Amino acid sequence: MDIIVCVKRVPDTSEADLAIDKGGKDIQKGGLDYDINDWDRFAIEEAVLIKEKTGGKVTVVTVGDEDAEEMLREGLARGADEAFLLWDESFEGSDGYATAHILAAFLKQRSYDLVLTGTLADDDCGGQFGGMLAAMLGVPVATLVHKIEVKNGSITVRRELEAGLSERLDIDLPAVVSVATGINEPRFVSIRAVRKVASIEIPTVDRGELGLDEADVGSAGAKVEIEKVFLPPEGEGAEIIAGSPADAAARLAEILKEKGGIA
Amino acid sequence: MKTIYVLAEHRQQHLRDTTWDALAAGRDLAQKTGAELACLLLGSGVDAMADQLAKECPKVVVVDDPRLANFNSEPFVKTLTGLLAGQDSYVLVIGNSNSIIDLAPGLSVALDAALATDCIGFEVDGGKVKALRQIYSYKVNALVSFKGASRIVATLRSGFFSFAPSGAAPGAIEKVASPLGDEPLRKRFLSYVEAEKGDVDIASADIIVAIGRGIGDEEDLSMFESLADAMGGVVACSRPIVDKGLLPKYRQVGTSGVEVKPKVYLALGISGAFQHLGGIKGNPLIVAVNKDPRAPIFRAAQYGIVANLADVVPALEEKIKELKG
Amino acid sequence: MTLLEPADVPLAGISAPIVAAAVLLAAIAIFSYVMLRRIQLLRAVLPDPRFSEIGRRIWLAIVYGFGQARQPRYLGAGIMHILLFAGFVILSLRSLTLIGRGFSSGFHLPLMTGSVGFAYEVLKDYVVLMVLVVCIVAMVRRAVFKPARYQHTGTSKGHGAEAYVILGMVSALMITDMIYDGSALAVGGHTSGAALFPAASLGAAFMGAASQSTLSVLHVAGYWAHILVFFTLLNYLPISKHFHVITAIPNVFFAKLNKGGIKPVRWGVDDWMELEECGVGRFEQFTWKHVLDFYSCADCGRCSDNCPAATVGRALSPRMISIKARDYVYEHYPVFSANKDPDDKPFTGNIVTEQEIWACTTCGACEQECPIFIEYIDKIVDMRRYLVEQGEMPVSLQKPLQQIKKKGNAYGATKTKRAEWTKALEGIQVKELQPGDATDTLFFVDSCGSFDPRIQEISKSFARILHRSGVEFGILGKDETDSGNEIRRLGEEGLFEQVSSKNIEAFQAREFREIVAFDPHAFNVIRNDYPVKFPVTHASQMLARFLEQGRITLKGNYLAGRLVTYHDPCYLGRHNGVYNEPRAVLGRIPGMHLREMHRSFTRSFCCSGGGPLLWYENEEEKERMGERRVKMAAEIGAQVIVTACPFCLINLEDAVKTTGNEGKIEVIDLVELVDRYLA
Repeated sequence: MDIIVCVKRVPDTSEADLAIDKGGKDIQKGGLDYDINDWDRFAIEEAVLIKEKTGGKVTVVTVGDEDAEEMLREGLARGADEAFLLWDESFEGSDGYATAHILAAFLKQRSYDLVLTGTLADDDCGGQFGGMLAAMLGVPVATLVHKIEVKNGSITVRRELEAGLSERLDIDLPAVVSVATGINEPRFVSIRAVRKVASIEIPTVDRGELGLDEADVGSAGAKVEIEKVFLPPEGEGAEIIAGSPADAAARLAEILKEKGGIA
Repeated sequence: MKTIYVLAEHRQQHLRDTTWDALAAGRDLAQKTGAELACLLLGSGVDAMADQLAKECPKVVVVDDPRLANFNSEPFVKTLTGLLAGQDSYVLVIGNSNSIIDLAPGLSVALDAALATDCIGFEVDGGKVKALRQIYSYKVNALVSFKGASRIVATLRSGFFSFAPSGAAPGAIEKVASPLGDEPLRKRFLSYVEAEKGDVDIASADIIVAIGRGIGDEEDLSMFESLADAMGGVVACSRPIVDKGLLPKYRQVGTSGVEVKPKVYLALGISGAFQHLGGIKGNPLIVAVNKDPRAPIFRAAQYGIVANLADVVPALEEKIKELKG
Repeated sequence: MTLLEPADVPLAGISAPIVAAAVLLAAIAIFSYVMLRRIQLLRAVLPDPRFSEIGRRIWLAIVYGFGQARQPRYLGAGIMHILLFAGFVILSLRSLTLIGRGFSSGFHLPLMTGSVGFAYEVLKDYVVLMVLVVCIVAMVRRAVFKPARYQHTGTSKGHGAEAYVILGMVSALMITDMIYDGSALAVGGHTSGAALFPAASLGAAFMGAASQSTLSVLHVAGYWAHILVFFTLLNYLPISKHFHVITAIPNVFFAKLNKGGIKPVRWGVDDWMELEECGVGRFEQFTWKHVLDFYSCADCGRCSDNCPAATVGRALSPRMISIKARDYVYEHYPVFSANKDPDDKPFTGNIVTEQEIWACTTCGACEQECPIFIEYIDKIVDMRRYLVEQGEMPVSLQKPLQQIKKKGNAYGATKTKRAEWTKALEGIQVKELQPGDATDTLFFVDSCGSFDPRIQEISKSFARILHRSGVEFGILGKDETDSGNEIRRLGEEGLFEQVSSKNIEAFQAREFREIVAFDPHAFNVIRNDYPVKFPVTHASQMLARFLEQGRITLKGNYLAGRLVTYHDPCYLGRHNGVYNEPRAVLGRIPGMHLREMHRSFTRSFCCSGGGPLLWYENEEEKERMGERRVKMAAEIGAQVIVTACPFCLINLEDAVKTTGNEGKIEVIDLVELVDRYLA
C-alpha cells in the first residue's frame, strides 16, 4: 500500500512562556524550539507499521521552508522511503485551507492508497486539515482515528467519540485518515538512525511544479486572517469556593455544568 | 448576514448538549447581525427532536433519511451541501465534538465557505462576523476574520456559550426531502464500540476526574468512578495511586505517565507536583479539591474547594445528577 | 601382604598400560576437540582487547582466581567452595599420579618421593575425606534447604540436575580413591594407622570383612572406576554449567579493568557510525570475552541475589542472561554436529527480552558480587544499542532523551537559563566562565543541578561551600550540556557523543585546575567515559579535602542527636571506589551518630538510578527500589539518610513519603548537610 503522510513543523509552545510579537498578529517565536507536530509523529509511525505489514511505500511531505528538512529526515529515519518539501516564497502565510490546497495539488500528481496525517496541529489548533484535504481530493475522510485495519481496497477504522465511546467505520480507499495521538507508540529515533538516511535527497517542489496560482496559496489563498492575538488574562491561582462542603460542591457542580464539565 | 444556521447534533436519538451551545451562539449572532435563525436537523426518525428544537428556535429545517441516523460525515456533507446550495450570506454554527471534527472541514470546502473551528466567542464589527479562537497549545487567543466571506462555518468549544430557554413561541418545522442520491457511500458506519472498563484511554478523554494521594487510605474507588460516570468522564490518577496498586499505570497522568488533553480536569486530593501537572496539556479548566490550602494544585487550578473529599464528592455527584435532570 | 597393582593386572587379556593409554588418548582427544569447538566460537565473535596491564591481570588471577577472594562474601557457600577448590588443586596431583599408575605400578610425580611424597599422601587422604564431606553437605543443602538464589527464573530450562551430577561425580572420585587405597590398607599395605590416612582407613573399615581376593578385585576395580569417572568428569565440564572449572581463572585474568566506563560500540573500529549494524542484536555480535563470561557462569545466583531490579520484581535476573546465552551457544554451536544457523529472531529481544534489558539501572551490584568477574553492564548496554537502533526504547525514556537532544537537558528547559539558580544565592556571585577564562575549580552543575528545583538546593549549598572555602570557582552556565552518563548507558551512543563533545569543547576553551561535580553520574562519565581526560573530583572528596586543610570548619547542631546512616551511591562507591571520603566528612560533623545499614559499601542497594532514569517507569516492579532502601534504613532505626547523589536524594525522599516515613526519616545530601554546619 502506498501511503503519503502529511506532516507539519510547529513551535513547541506547550511548555514555553509565550509573548506577543510587536505586530500583535503572532507570538514571538525567536526562543522557541521547533519540532514535528506531535500528532503527525503518530501518523508517520502508523504509516510505517502498515507498510511493514502490507508492503508498499511511505512518503512524507510537508509545506515548509528548508528548516523543515530536518523533520522530514527524521521521518525517513522512522522508516519512510521518500520525502518532499513543498516550498515557494508565495506559500508564506498559508492558513489551513491554503495548506490543504497546496498538498491537494501535490497529491493529485501522485498515486496513493492512503493519506495519513495528525488530527490536530499544536500551533493553529484547527483540526481542519485532513477533512479539507479529503474534500479537495474527493475522497472519504476519518479523523481522530485510533485504530486502522487494512482490508482489500478498504480500511476499517475506529474513531474516538466522547466518554469512552468509539465508532467503527468502513472506508473505501483511497482515503484520508487523521490519526489520534496514542494510536501507536512511535519508535525512538536515534542520532545514528538519522545519520543513516543523511544521503537520501529530499526534493523541494515549488508552486510552478504544483501548477498553482499565486492567488490560491499563502495569505492570498487563505480563507481566514488573524486580526490580532493576545494572551488570555492570567488567573492568580484558583478562586476558592467558600461555604460548607455541600454548598461548595453545589456551586462547583454549576461551574462544571457551565464550563462543559458534564458530558 | 441573512441567516444564522445551527446544525443540531444528536446521538442515538438524543440531542447532544453541543446543540444547545450552538443554539445559544446562533441566537446571539442572529441578534447582533439582524439575521434569521434557523436550525438544521438531519437524522432518521427525528420528530421528537424537531419538536424539542422548535420550542427554542423560530425555524427548524428537517431532513429525515435513514442514512443520516449516525453522524457519518459523508451523507451529512452531501445533504448540507444540497440544502445550502445557491445560498449566500450565512453563518453555519455547529457545536464542536468529535463527530463534528469529521464533518466541518470537509463541509466548508464543499460549501466554499470559510471555516473557524473550536471558537470560544464571536465579535460582530460593522455587520462583519469575527471569531475568537485559541491557538498555540490553546495558550493564546486569536481574533480571526473571514476576509469578507459570505459563507462561514464555525464550530464552538463547549462551555463557552450558555444556553437559556427563550420563552418565545414555538417555531415552524419545515420538512425537506432528502437530497441524497442513490450512489453508495464510500464511508460506512458499522457500530458503536463502548470502551471496556479496563480499557479506558485517558489520553483522549475530555473530562477527567483525577485522584491522588489525598484520597488517604481509601481503597474503594467507587465514589470516584460514580462521580466520573455522572460527569461523563473517566477516572485518572497521580503516581501514588498506581504505586498503591489501586489503578493501572495507563491511568496515571504525568510527564512520566500519560499526557492528557481534556477540556475539564477535576483534581481530587492531588497536590500538584510539576511531574503531574506536566502531563496536563491543552489548557483545560482545572478544578481542585484538596484539604491542604497550600497545595500547589491551587496555583494551577481556576477553581478550588478546600475540604475533605468525603464531604465534597458525594454532594457534588448528587448535584450534577440533579443538574442533568 | 600386598595386592597386585592395577598396572600389573591385565584387563580382559589386554595389558593394563595399553588400556590406560587408550583411555588417556581417547579422553584427551575428546576433551581437546570439545575445547577446540568452544575456542573456535571465541575466535569467531567480535574482538576485545584484554591483554593490557598483564601484571595487574596476573595479580587478579592470583587474588580472585586462585585466592577466591570474593567467595567469602557468601560465607557458608564461600567456605565450601574454597574447600572444594583447594581439594581440586591438591587432588589434581593425585589424579595425575593415578593416571601414571595405570602405566607403572610404582609411578610417582617428580619430587613426590620419600618424606615429601609421604606427607602429600597424608594430606591427600585428609583432603579426600574433606571433599567427600563438602560434597555431601552441598547436596543436602541443595536438596533439603533449597537456597532461593539457586532457583531459576524465566523460561530457560533448569540446570539444577547438573549440580548433582557434578557433586556425584566428585563424590565418586573420592569414594573410588578410598576403595583403591582402603583395599590396600585393609590387606596391610600401609603400616601407619587411621590418624594418618583417615579416608583410606574408613574405606578399609568398610571392606574389613572382605577376603583378600575380593580386596584385590576392589583395588583394581576402584582404580579403574576412578580413572573413568575422572575422564568423564573432565569431558563433562565444557558441555555443562561446570565449564567454569576450566574457564574461571582465565575469566578473572581477562577481567574488565576500567570499571565505571562503558565499552565502545565496537573495538577496533574508527567510525562506528559507518557500521552496518551496531550493538548486539545477534549473539555473534558479543565480544569473545563476553562469550567467555557465558561459558564461565557457575549459576551460583549471587548476581541476581544482589540485583535491585530482581529484588523489586522487575524482569531482570543477570544470572539468567548468562545461563540463557550459554544454552544458546550449546544449542547453536554443538560439539558433535554442525553449527546451527541463527534463528530468524535475533538474540536480543527474544532470548533476552526487552523487559530484562531495560530493567537494569547499571548499578553494578551483580558485577561486584560475581566471584569470577562476569560483566553485565557492557552487555546490556550493547543490547540496548541494538534496540535503540531498532527504535525500541521505553516510552517513558524517549521524552527525556528527546529533550536532551533538542535542548541539552532532560527537563526541557532553555539552556540560556542554566545559570538561573545562582540568582537565588545571597551575597555570592557565581562566575559563568566564558571561553578563554581561567579559574581554579570548574563546578560542573549538570542538568539536574541547574533545573530540578530540589537539586538546585544542592547546587546552592555547594556554591556556598566553595565560596566559603576561598577557592576560586566558576560554572559553564549556558555552555554546559547534560553530562550524558545515562545516555550512554541507555544505548544512545550518538547522543552521548553529541553531549560529551559539547562539554569537552567547553572544558577545552577554559583553563582550570580541576572539575568538581556533586552528581556521581557526572563525575563518573567525565572520569571514565569522556574520550578526553580531565582531572575530576566528586564533591565528597573535595569536602574531605577542605576539612582536612581547614579551609572550612563545621559547627552547629542540625542533626540534634538523630541517628544517621549513609547510603553509598552506586556511581560513587561501586563504580569509582569512593567509600571513605563521604564517611570522613560525616566523621567531622559535630555530634554525628552514624550507623551503617546491612547493605553498605560494596553491597549498597541502588535506589533506581539517575539522569533520565528518573523518568523511567517499570511495569513489572512490585515495589520501588527507593522504598526498599528506605525500609533498610528504617530497620536500623536511622532518622537521617545522608547520601552523596542528587538522584538518590530524589528517589529516597519520594520513598520516605510513600513508605509512610514522612516526618520520621529525613533524606539529605552530604553537601547540604555540610552547608548546614558551615561555621
